[in-house]
Amino acid sequence: MNIAVPIKLVPDLVEELELNDDGSDLDHDALTYKINEFCDHALEEALQLKEAHGGSVTVLALDRDEADKALFTALAKGADRAIKVTGIDENTGTLTAAHAFRAALAGVEFDVLLTGVQAPDDREGQLGVLLASLLEIPHVSAVSEVSFDGGTVTLHKEFAGGVLARYQVAPKVVLGIQSARQAPRYAPVSRVRQLMKEASLDEIEVESPTNTSPEVRRVFRPTAGRGAEMLAGTTEDVAARIAELVLAHRGAR
Amino acid sequence: MLAQLDTPTRAIFHNLAPWMQVVFYIAGGLACAVFAWGFWRRIRKYRRGRAEPRFDRLGARLGRACVTILGNTTVRRGDALGGWAHTLILWGFLVLFIGTCIVALDHDVLRWFGWKLLQGNFYLGFSAILDVFGVLFLAGLLAMLVRRSVLRPKALDYRRADPHNEACDRSGFATDDAIFLWLLLLIGVTGYAVEALRIAQGMPEFERWSPVGYALAHAASGFSATTKVDGHLWSWWIHGLLVLLFVAYVPFSKMMHIFTDAANLVFHDANAGRRLPAPPSTPGYRRITDFTWKELLDFDACTKCGRCHVACPANAAGTTLSPRDLILDLRTFANTALGTPEWLPQRFGTASRWPTATDPAAVDVAADVIRPETLWSCTTCLACVEACPVGIEHLTSIVQMRRNLVDQSLLDDNLQSALRSLGDYGNSFGESAKKRARWTKGLPFPVKDARKTAVEYLWFVGDFASYDPRVQELSRKVATVLHGAGVDFGLLHDAERNSGNDVRRVGEEGLFEMLAEENIEALRGAEFRAIVTTDPHSYNALRNEYPALGAQFPVQHYSELLAERIAAGSLHFPRRLGHRATYHDPCYLARYNRQVDAPRAVMRAVGVQLIEMPRCKTETFCCGAGGGRIWMDTSNEQRRTSEQRIEEALALGDVRYFVTACPKDYAMYTDAVNSLGCRDRLQVVDLIELVGEALEDGTA
Repeated sequence: MNIAVPIKLVPDLVEELELNDDGSDLDHDALTYKINEFCDHALEEALQLKEAHGGSVTVLALDRDEADKALFTALAKGADRAIKVTGIDENTGTLTAAHAFRAALAGVEFDVLLTGVQAPDDREGQLGVLLASLLEIPHVSAVSEVSFDGGTVTLHKEFAGGVLARYQVAPKVVLGIQSARQAPRYAPVSRVRQLMKEASLDEIEVESPTNTSPEVRRVFRPTAGRGAEMLAGTTEDVAARIAELVLAHRGAR
Repeated sequence: MLAQLDTPTRAIFHNLAPWMQVVFYIAGGLACAVFAWGFWRRIRKYRRGRAEPRFDRLGARLGRACVTILGNTTVRRGDALGGWAHTLILWGFLVLFIGTCIVALDHDVLRWFGWKLLQGNFYLGFSAILDVFGVLFLAGLLAMLVRRSVLRPKALDYRRADPHNEACDRSGFATDDAIFLWLLLLIGVTGYAVEALRIAQGMPEFERWSPVGYALAHAASGFSATTKVDGHLWSWWIHGLLVLLFVAYVPFSKMMHIFTDAANLVFHDANAGRRLPAPPSTPGYRRITDFTWKELLDFDACTKCGRCHVACPANAAGTTLSPRDLILDLRTFANTALGTPEWLPQRFGTASRWPTATDPAAVDVAADVIRPETLWSCTTCLACVEACPVGIEHLTSIVQMRRNLVDQSLLDDNLQSALRSLGDYGNSFGESAKKRARWTKGLPFPVKDARKTAVEYLWFVGDFASYDPRVQELSRKVATVLHGAGVDFGLLHDAERNSGNDVRRVGEEGLFEMLAEENIEALRGAEFRAIVTTDPHSYNALRNEYPALGAQFPVQHYSELLAERIAAGSLHFPRRLGHRATYHDPCYLARYNRQVDAPRAVMRAVGVQLIEMPRCKTETFCCGAGGGRIWMDTSNEQRRTSEQRIEEALALGDVRYFVTACPKDYAMYTDAVNSLGCRDRLQVVDLIELVGEALEDGTA
């Protein structure tokens, strides 16, 4: 089966996050970007599936400075094709990104599409859901342990409370990968550098979709809390202290 | 016929019927043919290795090798008994061999021209010299026999460091050793028997020039004439056939070391390990044919003397790595894959039980022959290369195989994240490059940016000294001392990257190149007279590795700079400390770069009383952090080398300070002292702390 992996590039938190002048967004120029950790797991799972079952792995990323490095790294790890999706604002929202990936995927043959289950700028894990809905195919999220069995895809989906379900799905399908079966592999720098010299990335230009993401007017820095009070002592002591706090808080209202 | 009594000489083939002489020549021809065949198979094996240019300055190479071999200097280093015994055997063997050649020349060549060397005074001198060297030869062999069977030094314990590889036992090697020793002993003893029984047949007076033979002949004078003649004949044949057996057996046994070690010493690279070779066209070694002919020769050069095995910190820590085992395993595998010139070890020892694939040439050496865990255990301290008396270059083979592991992503998670961090930010701490010079904050004076202002010294700080909070404090002390001494210095600030020294030794060649290129670009953009560094690892990369990338800068360790200033009189100390201290030589300063004097000169200048540990200077013992070990999961170490080293210092008795001159050492030994719970007895300090203390004026 052929696998497509759209990856997201997210700010590298090793640098301090800065807001732009009007306070509506991060100051993207001051940041460096790297592959979203969950997307790295999606890529690893795709490569593992390819090694076990054959087929091909195509990786897609929206164009930005670090996209080349991320895509060449994916090729160095063993992906067969890397596509840079151009023509849209690099700091776009998830819905716009989903539209762009959908358009780029028109030229890609795939049976299974793996996304990272979430990203720092997509905590709800919308990318996979949106892509599935735009492509009109099913979607399963919080996925691990994917395997191909004949024409079907078997996988584990994690629910809240430690419940794990086993699914069998027929392709095409979008899977939001929670974790790969092993930690993402290391891409030797010499391979990446050699590919940068010798290989080239496919570029697919998409029409910039009308920005359907919500407009952000103001971003706030998180305010530091006052810290927590740890309750200790016997159950009775703790209960009494909680009652006291609740009453005091109600009183304050 | 007996020799003429008036002219001192002896008849060659005395006592042998003509047909016997013919039989001997045929046997000799066969022995030489077997020797030539075995020798040719060796050469053929080496020719299957990759090409490597080692024929430059051949005259100098030959000269150096002759001095080493004839002087036996490297063999005696660190092992007086074994070394002197070897020297006696070597010289005895050499002289007896030359003697035999003269006999052959005389009898088989010169005779046909009517010439004869072996008569008169020449014969007398010849007899005396051979007789004396024969005794030395036997004395050496007896000493070796005692050493092997009675003393049994740890170095000769062939038990493997890697118990997982039980299939490869060492019994064949031990048998081969015994055959070598006993064969030489028997040849020596029977040689004297032949001589004694020949002399005993007439007791010519001039044979007193063969003192041993004459004395033995005298002792045998009671035998009947027939016994003497028959005994001579028998002992002659036994001696002669043993010698021919020896000749034929050489290329299939340990005896071949006579040739392989001589060649290895000629082709040895004195800088092996200090500057690593670029990888071959493949990324690292995977197939046995990826090794160069010199490396294949390395494997055959090993005599199992065990010096590397004893010196190796990975082995001392109880990991599965022993440089000796590694070399021997590769030798056995090379022989299996490329033809089998070693007979006994191969037949009864390792190879008969070697877990080979159907096509041995397709086996991955860095996973199937040497296990990855074993390769990752190396600290690249270079102790093995330093200890090896015959110029084996273990480290380059290890790094080349590590490169293959990196290429296959066969590395532990800690190491992966360190390498990712080095690739993304240029340091292993996962910190922003912008924070590299943050340690300078809080200094009462500004630290220059060498990219903007010309400076005399560019201080290459290194990762640990820049980011590790414990070492940052030391960096500020160095800055303060340099500033106080009026040294004009600056930093590359956030343009500095990890030097890549240990990245290269991990086997991540691409990342090393990237880091080195970035550093070289930054260095070229700065104006300075020389580089000074507090980090011996960076020192090695800058001094030995960067020149191959076209960047040659003068580099100094800070101890060298301080020693220079002290000698010039521009740095003097109001206080003399009087501490009793021991100094740990960093591998990359002492062993890699032979700098052992400067730190000691600084310690003398501040009035420290230096007590040396048994393993000091170029024979220093690794802290266990080098070669990327500091980034790896080191749970396979049963006894940390840093703790062993602290115990070595504690054993000195009344020593209060353990002095380091390397940021990694400082971090490692601080941890070791804490985990051994001996902080109250031994304090780990960096050299700069002593300097700082001695600079404080007495009123403070």
